[in-house]
Amino acid sequence: MRLAELEREEETQLSEETQTDLVLIPEPQGVMVRHKWQKHLLTYLMVFGPGLIVMVADNDGGAVSTYMQAGGQYGLHLLWTLVVLLPICYFVQEMVARLGIATGKGHAAMIYSRFGKWWGRFSLFDLLVVNFLTLITEFAVISLAFSAMGISPRIAVPAAALGLTLLVITGSYLRWERAVIALCLLDLTWFVLAFLVHPSWATVARNTLVPTMPLGGVTSSLVFLVIAVVGTTIAPWQLFFQQSCVAEKRLRFSDLKWARLDTLIGSLITVTVAGAMMLVGNYGFQHGIVFQDPAQFAVAIMPMLGHFVRNSILLLMVNAAVLGATAISLASAWAYGEVQGWEHSLHKKLWEAPGFYATYILCVGAAAAFVLIPHVPLQLVIVSVQVFAGLILPSAIIFLQLLLNDRELLGDRWVNKPWNNTINWIIIVVLFALSLLLAAQVMLPNLFN
Amino acid sequence: MASIQNSFVPQFFNVIHPLYDVPEQKCTSEGLGRIRMTRAVRISLGVLRAYLIVMSLMLGYHVLDLAGVLHRSF
Repeated sequence: MRLAELEREEETQLSEETQTDLVLIPEPQGVMVRHKWQKHLLTYLMVFGPGLIVMVADNDGGAVSTYMQAGGQYGLHLLWTLVVLLPICYFVQEMVARLGIATGKGHAAMIYSRFGKWWGRFSLFDLLVVNFLTLITEFAVISLAFSAMGISPRIAVPAAALGLTLLVITGSYLRWERAVIALCLLDLTWFVLAFLVHPSWATVARNTLVPTMPLGGVTSSLVFLVIAVVGTTIAPWQLFFQQSCVAEKRLRFSDLKWARLDTLIGSLITVTVAGAMMLVGNYGFQHGIVFQDPAQFAVAIMPMLGHFVRNSILLLMVNAAVLGATAISLASAWAYGEVQGWEHSLHKKLWEAPGFYATYILCVGAAAAFVLIPHVPLQLVIVSVQVFAGLILPSAIIFLQLLLNDRELLGDRWVNKPWNNTINWIIIVVLFALSLLLAAQVMLPNLFN
Repeated sequence: MASIQNSFVPQFFNVIHPLYDVPEQKCTSEGLGRIRMTRAVRISLGVLRAYLIVMSLMLGYHVLDLAGVLHRSF
Protein backbone atom coordinates (compact mmCIF):
# COMPACT_ATOMS: atom_id res chain seq x y z
CA MET A 1 0.00 0.00 0.00
CA ARG A 2 2.72 2.37 1.09
CA LEU A 3 4.82 1.36 -1.85
CA ALA A 4 2.03 2.13 -4.25
CA GLU A 5 1.64 5.64 -2.80
CA LEU A 6 5.31 6.41 -3.08
CA GLU A 7 6.22 4.70 -6.32
CA ARG A 8 6.22 7.92 -8.39
CA GLU A 9 8.75 9.63 -6.14
CA GLU A 10 12.39 9.32 -7.12
CA GLU A 11 13.58 8.72 -3.57
CA THR A 12 11.22 6.60 -1.52
CA GLN A 13 11.47 5.75 2.12
CA LEU A 14 10.15 2.41 3.26
CA SER A 15 9.54 0.82 6.60
CA GLU A 16 12.02 -1.64 8.00
CA GLU A 17 9.77 -4.59 7.22
CA THR A 18 10.09 -4.03 3.50
CA GLN A 19 13.87 -3.79 3.44
CA THR A 20 15.11 -5.68 0.44
CA ASP A 21 17.49 -4.68 -2.27
CA LEU A 22 15.06 -5.22 -5.09
CA VAL A 23 11.30 -4.81 -5.07
CA LEU A 24 9.24 -5.11 -8.23
CA ILE A 25 6.44 -2.61 -8.65
CA PRO A 26 3.61 -3.72 -10.92
CA GLU A 27 2.14 -0.37 -12.06
CA PRO A 28 3.71 1.73 -13.54
CA GLN A 29 6.46 -0.72 -14.29
CA GLY A 30 9.44 0.25 -12.19
CA VAL A 31 12.15 -1.35 -10.16
CA MET A 32 12.95 -0.36 -6.59
CA VAL A 33 16.65 -0.37 -5.77
CA ARG A 34 18.45 0.33 -2.55
CA HIS A 35 21.62 2.09 -3.63
CA LYS A 36 22.30 5.11 -5.78
CA TRP A 37 24.81 3.23 -7.92
CA GLN A 38 22.16 0.60 -8.63
CA LYS A 39 19.77 3.34 -9.67
CA HIS A 40 22.35 4.87 -12.02
CA LEU A 41 23.34 1.54 -13.52
CA LEU A 42 19.75 0.44 -14.04
CA THR A 43 18.72 3.79 -15.53
CA TYR A 44 21.65 3.61 -17.93
CA LEU A 45 20.74 0.06 -18.95
CA MET A 46 17.16 1.15 -19.57
CA VAL A 47 18.15 4.23 -21.59
CA PHE A 48 21.04 2.81 -23.59
CA GLY A 49 20.38 1.54 -27.10
CA PRO A 50 19.87 4.32 -29.66
CA GLY A 51 23.43 5.68 -29.29
CA LEU A 52 25.04 2.27 -29.41
CA ILE A 53 22.92 1.04 -32.32
CA VAL A 54 23.44 4.13 -34.47
CA MET A 55 27.17 4.06 -34.00
CA VAL A 56 27.69 0.31 -34.48
CA ALA A 57 25.31 0.23 -37.45
CA ASP A 58 27.47 2.98 -38.91
CA ASN A 59 30.12 0.30 -39.44
CA ASP A 60 27.90 -1.15 -42.15
CA GLY A 61 28.80 -3.25 -45.19
CA GLY A 62 30.35 -0.32 -47.05
CA ALA A 63 32.31 0.72 -43.99
CA VAL A 64 33.84 -2.77 -43.61
CA SER A 65 35.08 -2.45 -47.17
CA THR A 66 36.43 1.10 -46.70
CA TYR A 67 38.28 0.43 -43.43
CA MET A 68 39.77 -2.84 -44.66
CA GLN A 69 40.81 -1.15 -47.88
CA ALA A 70 42.49 1.62 -45.82
CA GLY A 71 44.45 -1.06 -43.95
CA GLY A 72 45.04 -3.13 -47.08
CA GLN A 73 46.46 -0.23 -49.11
CA TYR A 74 48.18 1.94 -46.49
CA GLY A 75 48.82 -0.41 -43.59
CA LEU A 76 48.41 1.32 -40.23
CA HIS A 77 49.08 4.83 -41.54
CA LEU A 78 45.42 5.93 -41.46
CA LEU A 79 44.67 4.82 -37.89
CA TRP A 80 45.00 8.40 -36.63
CA THR A 81 41.99 9.46 -38.70
CA LEU A 82 39.78 7.42 -36.36
CA VAL A 83 41.04 9.36 -33.34
CA VAL A 84 40.09 12.61 -35.11
CA LEU A 85 36.69 11.18 -36.02
CA LEU A 86 35.80 10.11 -32.48
CA PRO A 87 34.94 13.60 -31.13
CA ILE A 88 33.27 14.53 -34.43
CA CYS A 89 30.98 11.48 -34.18
CA TYR A 90 30.20 12.21 -30.56
CA PHE A 91 29.46 15.93 -30.90
CA VAL A 92 27.20 15.50 -33.93
CA GLN A 93 25.23 12.60 -32.45
CA GLU A 94 25.00 14.26 -29.03
CA MET A 95 23.16 17.18 -30.66
CA VAL A 96 20.78 14.71 -32.31
CA ALA A 97 20.07 12.93 -29.01
CA ARG A 98 19.52 16.27 -27.23
CA LEU A 99 17.10 17.49 -29.91
CA GLY A 100 15.23 14.17 -29.85
CA ILE A 101 14.86 14.26 -26.06
CA ALA A 102 13.83 17.93 -26.01
CA THR A 103 11.21 17.69 -28.76
CA GLY A 104 10.20 14.02 -28.84
CA LYS A 105 10.12 14.36 -32.63
CA GLY A 106 12.23 13.12 -35.52
CA HIS A 107 14.68 15.25 -37.52
CA ALA A 108 12.59 15.29 -40.71
CA ALA A 109 9.52 16.54 -38.83
CA MET A 110 11.53 19.31 -37.19
CA ILE A 111 12.99 20.48 -40.54
CA TYR A 112 9.47 20.56 -42.01
CA SER A 113 7.97 22.51 -39.16
CA ARG A 114 10.78 25.08 -38.70
CA PHE A 115 12.20 25.53 -42.21
CA GLY A 116 9.10 25.04 -44.34
CA LYS A 117 7.95 22.61 -46.98
CA TRP A 118 10.67 23.28 -49.56
CA TRP A 119 13.57 22.41 -47.28
CA GLY A 120 11.52 19.65 -45.70
CA ARG A 121 10.77 17.98 -49.03
CA PHE A 122 14.33 18.44 -50.24
CA SER A 123 15.75 16.81 -47.10
CA LEU A 124 13.25 13.98 -47.13
CA PHE A 125 13.66 13.22 -50.84
CA ASP A 126 17.43 13.28 -50.62
CA LEU A 127 17.41 11.12 -47.50
CA LEU A 128 15.11 8.53 -49.07
CA VAL A 129 17.23 8.35 -52.23
CA VAL A 130 20.60 8.09 -50.50
CA ASN A 131 19.20 5.57 -48.00
CA PHE A 132 17.78 3.39 -50.77
CA LEU A 133 21.06 3.45 -52.69
CA THR A 134 22.99 2.63 -49.52
CA LEU A 135 20.58 -0.24 -48.86
CA ILE A 136 21.43 -1.66 -52.26
CA THR A 137 25.10 -1.65 -51.28
CA GLU A 138 24.21 -3.48 -48.02
CA PHE A 139 22.49 -6.24 -49.97
CA ALA A 140 25.39 -6.33 -52.41
CA VAL A 141 27.69 -7.01 -49.45
CA ILE A 142 25.35 -9.76 -48.21
CA SER A 143 25.37 -11.28 -51.68
CA LEU A 144 29.16 -11.06 -51.91
CA ALA A 145 29.75 -12.65 -48.48
CA PHE A 146 27.34 -15.54 -49.01
CA SER A 147 28.71 -16.19 -52.50
CA ALA A 148 32.18 -16.56 -50.96
CA MET A 149 30.67 -19.07 -48.51
CA GLY A 150 29.21 -21.03 -51.41
CA ILE A 151 25.60 -20.00 -50.80
CA SER A 152 23.69 -18.68 -53.77
CA PRO A 153 22.64 -15.00 -53.53
CA ARG A 154 19.22 -16.09 -54.85
CA ILE A 155 18.70 -17.82 -51.51
CA ALA A 156 20.76 -15.60 -49.20
CA VAL A 157 19.47 -12.18 -50.30
CA PRO A 158 15.71 -12.96 -50.05
CA ALA A 159 16.36 -14.74 -46.73
CA ALA A 160 18.15 -11.65 -45.41
CA ALA A 161 15.29 -9.42 -46.60
CA LEU A 162 12.78 -11.68 -44.87
CA GLY A 163 14.83 -11.69 -41.66
CA LEU A 164 15.07 -7.89 -41.74
CA THR A 165 11.29 -7.67 -42.11
CA LEU A 166 10.57 -10.13 -39.30
CA LEU A 167 12.90 -8.14 -37.06
CA VAL A 168 10.61 -5.09 -37.05
CA ILE A 169 7.08 -6.43 -37.34
CA THR A 170 6.84 -7.84 -33.83
CA GLY A 171 4.95 -4.77 -32.61
CA SER A 172 7.53 -4.11 -29.92
CA TYR A 173 10.32 -1.54 -30.00
CA LEU A 174 12.10 -3.31 -27.16
CA ARG A 175 12.13 -6.65 -28.98
CA TRP A 176 13.69 -4.99 -32.02
CA GLU A 177 16.18 -3.10 -29.85
CA ARG A 178 17.31 -6.21 -27.93
CA ALA A 179 17.80 -8.22 -31.12
CA VAL A 180 19.78 -5.40 -32.71
CA ILE A 181 21.94 -4.88 -29.60
CA ALA A 182 22.80 -8.60 -29.74
CA LEU A 183 23.94 -8.10 -33.34
CA CYS A 184 25.92 -5.02 -32.24
CA LEU A 185 27.75 -7.11 -29.63
CA LEU A 186 28.69 -9.66 -32.31
CA ASP A 187 30.63 -6.83 -33.95
CA LEU A 188 33.10 -7.07 -31.06
CA THR A 189 34.44 -10.23 -32.75
CA TRP A 190 36.52 -7.82 -34.85
CA PHE A 191 38.73 -7.39 -31.77
CA VAL A 192 39.38 -11.16 -31.70
CA LEU A 193 40.36 -11.05 -35.37
CA ALA A 194 42.62 -8.06 -34.74
CA PHE A 195 44.48 -10.06 -32.08
CA LEU A 196 44.70 -13.12 -34.31
CA VAL A 197 46.55 -11.19 -37.04
CA HIS A 198 49.27 -10.27 -34.48
CA PRO A 199 49.99 -6.65 -35.39
CA SER A 200 52.93 -4.80 -33.86
CA TRP A 201 51.11 -3.07 -31.00
CA ALA A 202 53.86 -0.47 -30.63
CA THR A 203 53.34 0.54 -34.27
CA VAL A 204 49.58 0.52 -33.74
CA ALA A 205 49.93 2.88 -30.76
CA ARG A 206 52.32 5.18 -32.65
CA ASN A 207 50.14 5.39 -35.78
CA THR A 208 47.03 5.95 -33.69
CA LEU A 209 48.47 8.92 -31.83
CA VAL A 210 50.82 10.42 -34.43
CA PRO A 211 49.74 10.99 -38.05
CA THR A 212 52.35 9.39 -40.29
CA MET A 213 52.80 9.47 -44.04
CA PRO A 214 52.67 6.24 -46.07
CA LEU A 215 55.34 5.52 -48.67
CA GLY A 216 54.63 7.59 -51.76
CA GLY A 217 53.48 10.65 -49.78
CA VAL A 218 50.21 12.49 -50.29
CA THR A 219 48.53 11.20 -53.42
CA SER A 220 45.02 11.86 -54.68
CA SER A 221 44.03 8.28 -53.91
CA LEU A 222 45.24 8.71 -50.31
CA VAL A 223 43.32 11.97 -49.91
CA PHE A 224 40.14 10.43 -51.23
CA LEU A 225 40.47 7.35 -49.11
CA VAL A 226 40.75 9.65 -46.07
CA ILE A 227 37.62 11.46 -47.25
CA ALA A 228 35.89 8.13 -47.78
CA VAL A 229 36.79 7.12 -44.20
CA VAL A 230 35.26 10.38 -42.93
CA GLY A 231 32.19 9.94 -45.14
CA THR A 232 31.77 6.38 -43.94
CA THR A 233 32.04 7.32 -40.30
CA ILE A 234 29.57 10.21 -40.46
CA ALA A 235 26.61 9.25 -42.63
CA PRO A 236 23.47 11.36 -43.12
CA TRP A 237 20.99 8.67 -42.11
CA GLN A 238 22.56 8.59 -38.64
CA LEU A 239 21.16 12.03 -37.77
CA PHE A 240 17.63 11.06 -38.75
CA PHE A 241 17.87 7.59 -37.23
CA GLN A 242 19.06 8.48 -33.75
CA GLN A 243 16.64 11.36 -33.29
CA SER A 244 13.68 9.20 -34.32
CA CYS A 245 14.96 6.32 -32.20
CA VAL A 246 15.27 8.57 -29.13
CA ALA A 247 11.72 9.84 -29.75
CA GLU A 248 10.49 6.27 -30.24
CA LYS A 249 12.03 5.22 -26.93
CA ARG A 250 10.41 8.26 -25.27
CA LEU A 251 13.58 9.26 -23.49
CA ARG A 252 12.92 11.82 -20.76
CA PHE A 253 14.68 15.09 -20.01
CA SER A 254 16.45 13.44 -17.08
CA ASP A 255 17.79 10.74 -19.41
CA LEU A 256 20.01 13.15 -21.34
CA LYS A 257 23.20 12.37 -19.39
CA TRP A 258 22.65 8.63 -19.97
CA ALA A 259 21.87 9.19 -23.64
CA ARG A 260 25.15 11.13 -23.85
CA LEU A 261 27.01 8.25 -22.22
CA ASP A 262 25.29 5.82 -24.59
CA THR A 263 26.42 7.93 -27.55
CA LEU A 264 29.96 8.24 -26.19
CA ILE A 265 30.29 4.48 -25.64
CA GLY A 266 28.80 3.85 -29.07
CA SER A 267 31.31 6.28 -30.63
CA LEU A 268 34.20 4.58 -28.84
CA ILE A 269 33.05 1.16 -30.03
CA THR A 270 32.55 2.30 -33.61
CA VAL A 271 36.03 3.82 -33.96
CA THR A 272 37.81 0.98 -32.16
CA VAL A 273 35.99 -1.64 -34.26
CA ALA A 274 36.91 0.40 -37.35
CA GLY A 275 40.51 0.32 -36.13
CA ALA A 276 40.29 -3.47 -35.73
CA MET A 277 39.09 -3.70 -39.35
CA MET A 278 42.11 -1.66 -40.44
CA LEU A 279 44.40 -4.02 -38.50
CA VAL A 280 42.90 -7.02 -40.30
CA GLY A 281 43.32 -5.21 -43.63
CA ASN A 282 46.90 -4.40 -42.65
CA TYR A 283 47.64 -8.13 -42.51
CA GLY A 284 47.03 -8.26 -46.26
CA PHE A 285 49.23 -5.16 -46.73
CA GLN A 286 52.10 -6.86 -44.87
CA HIS A 287 51.74 -10.12 -46.82
CA GLY A 288 51.37 -8.61 -50.28
CA ILE A 289 47.69 -9.48 -50.74
CA VAL A 290 46.03 -7.06 -53.13
CA PHE A 291 42.75 -5.84 -51.66
CA GLN A 292 39.74 -5.94 -53.98
CA ASP A 293 36.84 -6.41 -51.61
CA PRO A 294 36.47 -7.89 -48.10
CA ALA A 295 35.12 -11.25 -49.35
CA GLN A 296 38.03 -11.74 -51.76
CA PHE A 297 40.37 -10.68 -48.96
CA ALA A 298 38.85 -13.21 -46.52
CA VAL A 299 39.31 -16.01 -49.03
CA ALA A 300 42.86 -14.88 -49.88
CA ILE A 301 44.10 -14.92 -46.27
CA MET A 302 42.54 -18.30 -45.43
CA PRO A 303 45.67 -20.34 -46.27
CA MET A 304 47.62 -18.27 -43.72
CA LEU A 305 45.06 -17.67 -40.98
CA GLY A 306 42.64 -20.57 -41.34
CA HIS A 307 38.92 -21.16 -41.72
CA PHE A 308 37.91 -19.38 -38.52
CA VAL A 309 39.25 -16.01 -39.69
CA ARG A 310 37.82 -16.44 -43.20
CA ASN A 311 34.36 -17.40 -41.97
CA SER A 312 34.39 -14.74 -39.27
CA ILE A 313 35.16 -11.97 -41.77
CA LEU A 314 32.42 -13.20 -44.11
CA LEU A 315 29.84 -13.50 -41.32
CA LEU A 316 30.83 -10.13 -39.86
CA MET A 317 30.32 -8.60 -43.30
CA VAL A 318 26.77 -10.00 -43.27
CA ASN A 319 26.23 -8.80 -39.70
CA ALA A 320 27.43 -5.30 -40.60
CA ALA A 321 25.18 -5.17 -43.66
CA VAL A 322 22.14 -6.42 -41.71
CA LEU A 323 22.71 -3.83 -38.97
CA GLY A 324 23.13 -1.09 -41.53
CA ALA A 325 20.08 -2.24 -43.48
CA THR A 326 17.69 -2.27 -40.52
CA ALA A 327 18.87 1.12 -39.24
CA ILE A 328 18.79 2.77 -42.67
CA SER A 329 15.36 1.36 -43.58
CA LEU A 330 13.97 2.47 -40.22
CA ALA A 331 15.47 5.95 -40.68
CA SER A 332 13.55 6.18 -43.99
CA ALA A 333 10.32 4.73 -42.60
CA TRP A 334 10.35 6.96 -39.51
CA ALA A 335 11.15 10.10 -41.52
CA TYR A 336 8.55 9.43 -44.21
CA GLY A 337 5.91 8.34 -41.69
CA GLU A 338 6.29 11.38 -39.48
CA VAL A 339 6.20 13.82 -42.40
CA GLN A 340 3.11 12.11 -43.83
CA GLY A 341 1.46 12.23 -40.42
CA TRP A 342 1.09 8.44 -40.33
CA GLU A 343 1.44 6.23 -37.31
CA HIS A 344 5.17 5.57 -37.34
CA SER A 345 6.15 3.44 -34.42
CA LEU A 346 7.60 0.01 -33.77
CA HIS A 347 5.18 -0.17 -30.82
CA LYS A 348 2.35 -0.51 -33.32
CA LYS A 349 1.24 -3.75 -34.91
CA LEU A 350 1.56 -4.19 -38.66
CA TRP A 351 -2.08 -3.27 -39.29
CA GLU A 352 -1.96 -0.30 -36.92
CA ALA A 353 0.82 1.49 -38.82
CA PRO A 354 0.50 0.13 -42.38
CA GLY A 355 2.19 3.08 -44.12
CA PHE A 356 5.21 3.00 -41.82
CA TYR A 357 5.76 -0.75 -42.17
CA ALA A 358 5.02 -0.64 -45.91
CA THR A 359 7.78 1.96 -46.35
CA TYR A 360 10.25 -0.22 -44.45
CA ILE A 361 9.30 -3.41 -46.32
CA LEU A 362 9.30 -1.61 -49.66
CA CYS A 363 12.81 -0.22 -49.06
CA VAL A 364 14.17 -3.61 -47.99
CA GLY A 365 12.35 -5.60 -50.69
CA ALA A 366 13.21 -3.26 -53.56
CA ALA A 367 16.90 -3.04 -52.61
CA ALA A 368 17.10 -6.85 -52.30
CA ALA A 369 15.38 -7.32 -55.66
CA PHE A 370 17.70 -4.76 -57.30
CA VAL A 371 20.79 -6.69 -56.22
CA LEU A 372 19.42 -9.88 -57.76
CA ILE A 373 19.16 -8.29 -61.21
CA PRO A 374 21.91 -9.84 -63.37
CA HIS A 375 24.78 -7.46 -64.28
CA VAL A 376 23.39 -4.72 -62.06
CA PRO A 377 25.54 -1.53 -62.30
CA LEU A 378 26.76 -1.50 -58.70
CA GLN A 379 29.54 0.95 -59.47
CA LEU A 380 26.92 3.49 -60.57
CA VAL A 381 25.04 2.91 -57.31
CA ILE A 382 28.18 3.51 -55.23
CA VAL A 383 28.95 6.73 -57.13
CA SER A 384 25.35 7.91 -56.68
CA VAL A 385 25.52 7.22 -52.94
CA GLN A 386 28.56 9.48 -52.68
CA VAL A 387 26.90 12.25 -54.69
CA PHE A 388 23.60 12.19 -52.79
CA ALA A 389 25.37 11.85 -49.44
CA GLY A 390 27.35 14.94 -50.42
CA LEU A 391 24.04 16.77 -50.85
CA ILE A 392 22.23 15.57 -47.74
CA LEU A 393 24.94 15.46 -45.06
CA PRO A 394 25.87 19.17 -45.06
CA SER A 395 22.18 20.14 -45.34
CA ALA A 396 21.04 17.91 -42.50
CA ILE A 397 23.89 19.01 -40.28
CA ILE A 398 23.24 22.70 -40.95
CA PHE A 399 19.57 22.24 -40.02
CA LEU A 400 20.63 20.37 -36.90
CA GLN A 401 22.93 23.18 -35.83
CA LEU A 402 20.29 25.85 -36.51
CA LEU A 403 17.64 23.88 -34.62
CA LEU A 404 19.98 23.52 -31.66
CA ASN A 405 20.24 27.33 -31.61
CA ASP A 406 16.50 27.85 -31.86
CA ARG A 407 15.68 29.45 -28.49
CA GLU A 408 12.08 30.02 -29.50
CA LEU A 409 11.63 26.25 -29.82
CA LEU A 410 13.99 24.85 -27.20
CA GLY A 411 14.40 27.59 -24.61
CA ASP A 412 17.69 28.25 -22.86
CA ARG A 413 17.97 24.76 -21.35
CA TRP A 414 18.46 22.77 -24.56
CA VAL A 415 20.18 25.15 -26.96
CA ASN A 416 23.90 24.84 -27.71
CA LYS A 417 26.34 26.54 -25.40
CA PRO A 418 28.83 28.93 -27.09
CA TRP A 419 31.71 26.39 -26.84
CA ASN A 420 29.40 23.80 -28.33
CA ASN A 421 28.65 26.10 -31.26
CA THR A 422 32.33 26.79 -31.90
CA ILE A 423 33.13 23.07 -32.12
CA ASN A 424 30.08 22.32 -34.23
CA TRP A 425 30.71 25.11 -36.75
CA ILE A 426 34.27 23.84 -37.21
CA ILE A 427 32.90 20.32 -37.81
CA ILE A 428 30.32 21.68 -40.27
CA VAL A 429 32.91 23.64 -42.27
CA VAL A 430 35.18 20.57 -42.45
CA LEU A 431 32.31 18.30 -43.52
CA PHE A 432 31.16 20.83 -46.16
CA ALA A 433 34.66 20.99 -47.62
CA LEU A 434 35.15 17.22 -47.60
CA SER A 435 31.69 16.54 -49.08
CA LEU A 436 32.35 19.06 -51.85
CA LEU A 437 35.78 17.58 -52.54
CA LEU A 438 34.46 14.02 -52.65
CA ALA A 439 31.56 14.96 -54.92
CA ALA A 440 33.94 16.90 -57.17
CA GLN A 441 36.25 13.92 -57.38
CA VAL A 442 33.35 11.66 -58.30
CA MET A 443 31.75 14.02 -60.83
CA LEU A 444 34.78 15.82 -62.22
CA PRO A 445 37.53 13.19 -62.08
CA ASN A 446 39.54 14.97 -64.79
CA LEU A 447 40.21 17.85 -62.39
CA PHE A 448 42.25 15.54 -60.18
CA ASN A 449 44.25 13.70 -62.82
CA MET B 1 13.47 -0.54 31.04
CA ALA B 2 14.00 1.84 28.19
CA SER B 3 13.04 0.58 24.75
CA ILE B 4 15.50 0.95 21.90
CA GLN B 5 13.98 2.59 18.87
CA ASN B 6 15.46 1.99 15.48
CA SER B 7 15.48 5.35 13.72
CA PHE B 8 17.16 4.01 10.57
CA VAL B 9 14.90 4.52 7.61
CA PRO B 10 16.38 3.12 4.40
CA GLN B 11 16.14 5.03 1.14
CA PHE B 12 14.86 3.34 -1.99
CA PHE B 13 15.00 4.54 -5.54
CA ASN B 14 12.33 3.77 -8.06
CA VAL B 15 13.70 3.28 -11.57
CA ILE B 16 11.13 3.34 -14.36
CA HIS B 17 11.79 2.44 -17.96
CA PRO B 18 11.23 5.45 -20.24
CA LEU B 19 8.64 3.54 -22.25
CA TYR B 20 6.49 2.94 -19.16
CA ASP B 21 6.88 6.35 -17.57
CA VAL B 22 4.37 9.19 -17.62
CA PRO B 23 4.85 11.22 -20.85
CA GLU B 24 6.56 14.59 -20.48
CA GLN B 25 5.52 17.90 -21.97
CA LYS B 26 8.12 18.29 -24.71
CA CYS B 27 9.26 21.45 -26.50
CA THR B 28 6.82 21.86 -29.35
CA SER B 29 6.94 23.85 -32.57
CA GLU B 30 3.15 24.07 -32.72
CA GLY B 31 2.03 27.63 -33.28
CA LEU B 32 5.60 28.88 -33.68
CA GLY B 33 5.64 28.86 -37.46
CA ARG B 34 8.97 29.06 -39.24
CA ILE B 35 12.27 29.70 -37.56
CA ARG B 36 13.13 33.37 -36.99
CA MET B 37 15.43 34.66 -39.75
CA THR B 38 18.34 35.86 -37.67
CA ARG B 39 21.59 36.78 -39.38
CA ALA B 40 23.08 33.36 -38.61
CA VAL B 41 20.08 31.55 -40.08
CA ARG B 42 20.09 33.75 -43.21
CA ILE B 43 23.81 33.25 -43.81
CA SER B 44 23.63 29.49 -43.16
CA LEU B 45 20.74 28.95 -45.56
CA GLY B 46 22.44 31.19 -48.14
CA VAL B 47 25.65 29.15 -47.96
CA LEU B 48 23.62 25.95 -48.18
CA ARG B 49 21.83 27.22 -51.32
CA ALA B 50 25.15 28.18 -52.91
CA TYR B 51 26.59 24.77 -52.04
CA LEU B 52 23.61 23.00 -53.56
CA ILE B 53 23.85 25.09 -56.74
CA VAL B 54 27.55 24.19 -57.13
CA MET B 55 26.75 20.51 -56.55
CA SER B 56 23.88 20.63 -59.07
CA LEU B 57 26.14 22.25 -61.67
CA MET B 58 28.77 19.57 -61.12
CA LEU B 59 26.12 16.87 -61.37
CA GLY B 60 24.76 18.41 -64.58
CA TYR B 61 28.26 18.58 -66.04
CA HIS B 62 28.86 14.96 -65.06
CA VAL B 63 25.61 13.79 -66.68
CA LEU B 64 26.40 15.71 -69.90
CA ASP B 65 29.92 14.30 -69.82
CA LEU B 66 28.62 10.73 -69.44
CA ALA B 67 26.14 11.33 -72.25
CA GLY B 68 29.05 12.36 -74.49
CA VAL B 69 27.54 15.79 -75.23
CA LEU B 70 30.67 17.67 -74.15
CA HIS B 71 33.00 15.67 -76.41
CA ARG B 72 30.87 15.69 -79.55
CA SER B 73 32.65 17.33 -82.49
CA PHE B 74 30.53 19.54 -84.73
